[in-house]
Amino acid sequence: MSSSTREEVLRHLQTVGQLQPALHKQTHAPAPTEITHTLYRAYTRSAHDVGGEYDVPIEWHEKEEEVWELNTFATCECLAWRGVWTAEERRRRQNVDVGQTIYLGLPYYGRWLMTAALILIDKQYVTLTELHDKIEEVRKRYEQS
Amino acid sequence: MADHDHKPAPMVDEVSDFEILELAVRELAIEKGLFSAEDHRVWTEYVHTLGPLPAARLVAKAWLDPEYKKLCEEDGVEASKAVGIDWVMTPPTHFGTPSDYCNLRVLVDTPKLKHVVVCTLCSCYPRPILGQSPEWYRTPNYRRRLVRWPRQVLSEFGMQLPEDVEVRVADSNQKTRYIVMPVRPEGTEGWTEDQLAEIVTRDCLIGVALPKPGITSNAKRPVLKAKNPVHHDH
Repeated sequence: MSSSTREEVLRHLQTVGQLQPALHKQTHAPAPTEITHTLYRAYTRSAHDVGGEYDVPIEWHEKEEEVWELNTFATCECLAWRGVWTAEERRRRQNVDVGQTIYLGLPYYGRWLMTAALILIDKQYVTLTELHDKIEEVRKRYEQS
Repeated sequence: MADHDHKPAPMVDEVSDFEILELAVRELAIEKGLFSAEDHRVWTEYVHTLGPLPAARLVAKAWLDPEYKKLCEEDGVEASKAVGIDWVMTPPTHFGTPSDYCNLRVLVDTPKLKHVVVCTLCSCYPRPILGQSPEWYRTPNYRRRLVRWPRQVLSEFGMQLPEDVEVRVADSNQKTRYIVMPVRPEGTEGWTEDQLAEIVTRDCLIGVALPKPGITSNAKRPVLKAKNPVHHDH
């Protein structure tokens, strides 16, 4: 998404800075000899593999489902129904490939939705330009209604 | 930074970026012929029919019928048919849902054994027989802690288990889904299947609550409101 003014650019950079995961270890793209077996194993863990991680008790919530969330679920299942992807492919993309920041930072169905958009691009069913144009078209339609 | 006048307001009054992207992706997929508008409508309608009632009925039936209980333990998918759920044929695909596979295990509690279900890697959930998963089930917090501190997490849900009751946590995966069959509670002698099914709530079927006479809904929890909520049929 483009940022048209200096103020917007700075705000964007500040927000992105706040989303960087906090590393408790200095990282500097080290030499291969610095990566021990223990580190190697830790770095090759994927972000969704959370079982057993430390956390504190929270309040458990229920949540009303948004219409776009249900629609996203249906879209993803229809894409699988009609052979565009398999559920395993979808999970790999939306749980592993998104990386830790998006994995923990976006709503559950937000990840499904992003992944559905990306699969259309990656498998070349639509171009990035077509997606951008469609998003603008939908946005204008909403503004006019 | 001119941040003072730009408090991060949640997207409430205006259309959200998610709503726009959802519509854009769906329309493009339909325009490109990847699936039809009818496919999407049919799937959405199918989801509207899902909920925890069939699973509750399965448990109630098994409490009353030892033969059926045995079938539940041996073949959850076959046992589901008796409560109207054919894992293969009920979804609009007629080959099962793409994401749930067709392998249901029914975990039978005893007075000395309590089961509870999680999906640490994802949020796998037996949708065809239990509906959409609750928000707390999807949280990294529940998924992180349940496998390691199950008694503490269960106590946060209001279940205090005696030391001599073993807790077994089932970790769902892409190919296997679980529901819990709790022990039939005292005070339900002579009850009908309908009466029994009423006290088997969604939370009982996940394993974070125990059925009790007079309790027919999940524990009250704060509800995160949707801007544009789905209204399900039940």
